[in-house]
Amino acid sequence: MTLTRRRAAITGVGLVTPLGNDTATTWEALCAERSGVAPIAGFDASGFSVRIAAEVKGFDAVAVIGDRKLLKFANRYQSFALAAADEAMRDAGIAPDERTASRWGCVVGSGMLGFSYEALADLHRGFAADGELNVKQLLAAGSAAADPLVFCRSQPNAGLWLLLRRFGIRGYASSVHTACSSGGQALGTALKLIRRATADYVLAGGFDSMIDPIGLAGFCLLGALSPDNDTPERASRPFDLTRNGFVLGEGAGFFVLEEWNAACARGAHIYAELAGDGNSLSSYRITDSHPSGDGPIQAMRQALADARVSPGEIDYLNAHGTSTPMNDRSECAAIHAVFGAEAARVPVSSTKSLMGHLIAGAGAVEAAVCALGIHHGTVPVNANLVERDPECDLNFVCERHGPQRIRAAMSNSFDFGGSNSCLVLRNAGER
Amino acid sequence: MNHSSKVLVTGAGAICGAGKEPEEIWQAVREGRTAFAPIARWDTSNFPPLASEIVDVDARTLVEDRKVHKLTQRSDLLGLYAAARAIDASNMVAYRECLDAVAAAAFNDRTGVYVGSGGGTYEISYDFFPLLTTAAGDLRTFGTELTSTVNPMWLLRTLPNNVLCHVGIRYGFKGANACITNHATSGTLAIAEAAAAVRAGEVDRAVAVGHHAGLEPQAGLYFQALGLLGVDAVRPFDVTRNGSLHGEGAAALVLEDEAAACSRDASVLGEFLGSGCVSEGEGLLSVRADGNGLARAMALALDDAGIRAAEVGMVVAHGNGTRASDASEAAAIRRIFGSGAPPVTAFKWVFGHLTAASGSMDAVLALLSLRHGVVPGIGTLRELDPACAPLPVSTAPQSPRSDVALVLSRGFAGMNAALLLRASTDGRG
Repeated sequence: MTLTRRRAAITGVGLVTPLGNDTATTWEALCAERSGVAPIAGFDASGFSVRIAAEVKGFDAVAVIGDRKLLKFANRYQSFALAAADEAMRDAGIAPDERTASRWGCVVGSGMLGFSYEALADLHRGFAADGELNVKQLLAAGSAAADPLVFCRSQPNAGLWLLLRRFGIRGYASSVHTACSSGGQALGTALKLIRRATADYVLAGGFDSMIDPIGLAGFCLLGALSPDNDTPERASRPFDLTRNGFVLGEGAGFFVLEEWNAACARGAHIYAELAGDGNSLSSYRITDSHPSGDGPIQAMRQALADARVSPGEIDYLNAHGTSTPMNDRSECAAIHAVFGAEAARVPVSSTKSLMGHLIAGAGAVEAAVCALGIHHGTVPVNANLVERDPECDLNFVCERHGPQRIRAAMSNSFDFGGSNSCLVLRNAGER
Repeated sequence: MNHSSKVLVTGAGAICGAGKEPEEIWQAVREGRTAFAPIARWDTSNFPPLASEIVDVDARTLVEDRKVHKLTQRSDLLGLYAAARAIDASNMVAYRECLDAVAAAAFNDRTGVYVGSGGGTYEISYDFFPLLTTAAGDLRTFGTELTSTVNPMWLLRTLPNNVLCHVGIRYGFKGANACITNHATSGTLAIAEAAAAVRAGEVDRAVAVGHHAGLEPQAGLYFQALGLLGVDAVRPFDVTRNGSLHGEGAAALVLEDEAAACSRDASVLGEFLGSGCVSEGEGLLSVRADGNGLARAMALALDDAGIRAAEVGMVVAHGNGTRASDASEAAAIRRIFGSGAPPVTAFKWVFGHLTAASGSMDAVLALLSLRHGVVPGIGTLRELDPACAPLPVSTAPQSPRSDVALVLSRGFAGMNAALLLRASTDGRG
């Protein structure tokens, strides 16, 4: 690493979350501690063991995006991506043109349920009514049974394509998926593209929705969700002694990243620097990190070293904090191992307490929360932390404080599969 | 571009319809033994296109740990097998076993895993068909009967990042990682990003795997309806080419920092020189006729490697046998090389389009071609399409012009990626 390495400025932020369909509304709800969790309204979940989620509310893709032709190719979470990316691009006030298009990259962490419940149910009605696919009958139906739009939406890189197409991005492009770390890893990759001069601008983020009968079923089967159907706003309580699972969320978060000097030269507003990326593998179990924090520890240390930031400079840590018994404990152990004595000082919160777990979108949305925290000088609250867990002994932010300068913030995302992503964002006024 | 340290290739593994080892697959290519047949897994009386299935081995026997079988899909097993073969070939685990506990932990922290994944199947959702039948359209019943009908591990089996997860658990590697789900450039980008992590000093070595097993009726139907499938052969650049045929498989490389490889006296298969990746930013399924994206990807790879086009010894084309892709690919090759293109070949005509694994497989076979000093011919080529000419392709083997191969991959979303690899003929870097 050289002293003159290129830096990445965050010059645009866009959000579609359970708390609001844009950045300002989401931030306001977060500061007002309004929960996005409620009984599921999008479909009849009355028969499921879990009937609550943090849904995006009142989202009208056509009103936001306008391009009906393009939206035909988009499913729910891909529409979230288009809307959040639109806002980030507008916010940055810069877009690819003929001269710069090939210097624009795009990296996304995409949701994985591209084949929706509706499409599956259609197929079932037509060709599997007795419970098993009638292959001969399906193939005999030929193209009549092959809706190209269903095919397009189900492609793992369909969301990436929609963004490339909408904004005319012609440079490096990639779609990644490491479950709950997807959004964080996408931003980490984007930072590296700027550093290694593969791109001068990157549209990067994450998006997901698993709040459909199939996605909800998958998590219900695993027993990973909080079953507190009668108290939805209290159900997600990261680090609380009585926590009993996470709450599904949905949405999208996007950044426009720009090479630092170019952003400064055009007088762009810089929310923060995306300063460091840490990326490790737990190699322990599919759904858990080691109780010692092994795995997340390496990611956090790498991110600090990569950002050239010391634990003493981190003034806010947005925890992965899913509200599951084991993972919150493992994360606390990791934070203690990395921060040492500083662990008692660093303000920590999991904003999943209000907006639920956005899965592939979580890392990007929570990095955006860090950027907004730095920008506004406000540390978001960890809602619903009432009963302290002696195994989770950190400086949790339980009530709102006045404005305070955040020199640097850290965002953690750890996934099903063991990939850990840690991002460090630095106040643009530092150094 | 100047890179201070070399990224070496110290292990390879591969499996597809043409064989279970890189050398076996390369020999099939060399001898023109195509591996297509009517699909055995389902009734194909209404589905004429052939495919290249792995038929002579039960995928479950490829991965010893039976717990993993219940938590993964077919594609994952192929990926885990290819990764294991590459890791074995690199001898890195044997080396780690000689280290003390502290050094072994550091070794694990400095070993990454990069995966190009097909991202899932339609069939995995068919596990819900019996429940849908029971529910008869009533979502409430769907919810109440769920746990008695569907495997509790269903969601874990669907994860696109299963190979990443299970390579980690099996070998204890804990370094930088990614799971790339970017259609037919997935495996290529896994190699490019693994190499970037080694170059940046984030890891000392990384396993780069591509895997895909997507032979299923629903997918076949879509590809057929979209006019992307041929019937009995893949004929890259041929005037009569009429589409691609699918295969299934996986391939893996171990990429290692030169100093790290030397310190453990690893044998060296080759060197990663550079990569380029761009999107054309237009249609999801279409390609630009002028090959603009692919030409830009090649130019970026040459720049990244710091070599001139004239130094390239052979080109492994994407060559998927579709009308539009092959013609635009030939145009892109002409744009970069002018009239001086080195021998061009392609491999999909032997074992089909491996989609997310195709770039990984082509990279492994490109290194073997250079090692053997033979650019295999394209056996199904009968008459070069004038729209693709001039292009130095042949049915007969050709000789590479140097020890450098350019490997091209193209995928949905207008993705184009190029890799430059140098072969080592003496086992040293």
